[in-house]
Amino acid sequence: MDAETADDIAPLQVTPMQSSIKIRTQALCFYYHHKQVLHDISVQLPANKITAITGPSGSGKSTFLMILNRLWEEIAGCSISGNVTVELEGHLQDINDKALPARVLRRKVGMVFQQPNPLPMSIFKNIAFPLYLTHITNKKHVKDAVEGALRQVHIWDEVKDRLNDDGRLLSGGQQQRLCLARALVLSPEVLLLDEPTSSLDPEASAAIEELLLSLKSQCTLIMVSHYQDQIQRIADLRFEVRDGRFLCPDAGCN
Amino acid sequence: MIRRLIEDALTVLSWAAGLLLTLALLTLAGYLLKKGGSTLGVDLIFGDTAPLDALMLRRQVFDGLFPAMIGTLLLITGSMLIAIPVGIAAGIYMAEYCSGRVKGFFSLLFDILAGVPSIVVGLAGLSLTIFLHRHFSAQISTSLLISCLSLALLVLPYLIRTTQTALESIDPLIRRTAPALGASRLQNIIRVLLPNSISEIVGGIILATGRCAEDTAVIMLTGAVASAGLPRSIFGQYEALPFYIYYISSQYTGPDELARGFGAAILLILICAGLLLIALWMQKRLTTLLLYR
Repeated sequence: MDAETADDIAPLQVTPMQSSIKIRTQALCFYYHHKQVLHDISVQLPANKITAITGPSGSGKSTFLMILNRLWEEIAGCSISGNVTVELEGHLQDINDKALPARVLRRKVGMVFQQPNPLPMSIFKNIAFPLYLTHITNKKHVKDAVEGALRQVHIWDEVKDRLNDDGRLLSGGQQQRLCLARALVLSPEVLLLDEPTSSLDPEASAAIEELLLSLKSQCTLIMVSHYQDQIQRIADLRFEVRDGRFLCPDAGCN
Repeated sequence: MIRRLIEDALTVLSWAAGLLLTLALLTLAGYLLKKGGSTLGVDLIFGDTAPLDALMLRRQVFDGLFPAMIGTLLLITGSMLIAIPVGIAAGIYMAEYCSGRVKGFFSLLFDILAGVPSIVVGLAGLSLTIFLHRHFSAQISTSLLISCLSLALLVLPYLIRTTQTALESIDPLIRRTAPALGASRLQNIIRVLLPNSISEIVGGIILATGRCAEDTAVIMLTGAVASAGLPRSIFGQYEALPFYIYYISSQYTGPDELARGFGAAILLILICAGLLLIALWMQKRLTTLLLYR
């Protein structure tokens, strides 16, 4: 689906923010090769809610997600200014503080990409991969965690007999659920979702939406989406990004 | 209409090129078999020595190609043992850590190294030997070790370039996946990027192995001799099949001796084919082991 204009955006039911704030940005600016992509963003994102970010293609939605887990550091020519604080394990953390290693942050702030991106390895290894990175090698622990994550995304019954098969051989919907399971296996506090259903059919999308709703109790979800009907169905709060600036049709902006 | 004609012409040309290459290969193999096939046998390899005695190193082989075969295998193994770790490490550095002008400088350097004729590399090996002989020990002379070092230097650019290209061509989505899951740069390289580049890297290793197996210019200056028996150590001189082929083809005294040269060429091709099969098996095994088990 292509980007929609502001006029297309249906008014959302504003959900009063009663939960605590999970993420705060203050005067956040982002630059790519000296070109300013995001301008002076100050927002508060509530904990244990689904916050949707919408807007035209190229407006900076995915960039905003990449700031929240410092994935932008992997791309040459990027720089940021301003503050981003995330409440992790009960403490407010400045995520751009160099004392906080990016790999530690990313284990707490998981990410699912628009395109399903199973690693070119077996289904089992795909899910176990984040565990191996944290040096969790106890076979029983890993096996249980993998099974738990696959059950959580309702794919266990479909793959339990072929865990050694290449993850890329799964269907698009299964791959996306696999990626979601992989992001969940470390029990992240924040889950960033970059158009997680854009490459899926309606049935698979509905399954993912249901799953996301069930995840709210465990973590905070920030989701980029183009689909207004999807946002209506599952989002608690919506932001719109226009030319790198955040507009708030609902509530939550400073 | 013209575009269609051009497309058809290109297709025919591509087929013709493939066919020509296959024909050339079959002609070469056929020619070698015709000229040297009659010599193939235990006698060519072991001469008058009983094969078991030779294999158990109980007796020396004087009139067979066994020492040259072992010398060639040691030469290839030694060169690759030096070149593979250095080449892969340098390739990783170029693809993952190096950037800007430094990368440009090193790229230029490796390109120049790739273009250096093997006789010049052999000369460098010989000069190194002379330097060591003069300044460190009079006992140092051309040897298997010097040949291995020189050949490793010769094939390094292949290994560096194939590793670098393999790593750089990985899909950016895959490249960012592991970091997004909390992998450090080193973890990403070791657990994702390298295992996913195994095919290309092994391709480079196969190419380099072939180069080590066939090069004569380097070894004739750095330690290969016509008759030395089995190498006693890496510091000793040795026999090698490519040098034997060169020696026989330039100094043969009769048709039988020339036929033995062709026989040696067939043996060299068989050794290369064997190494290729081992490399392909390892490639498959490593991919399965690293990614799917």
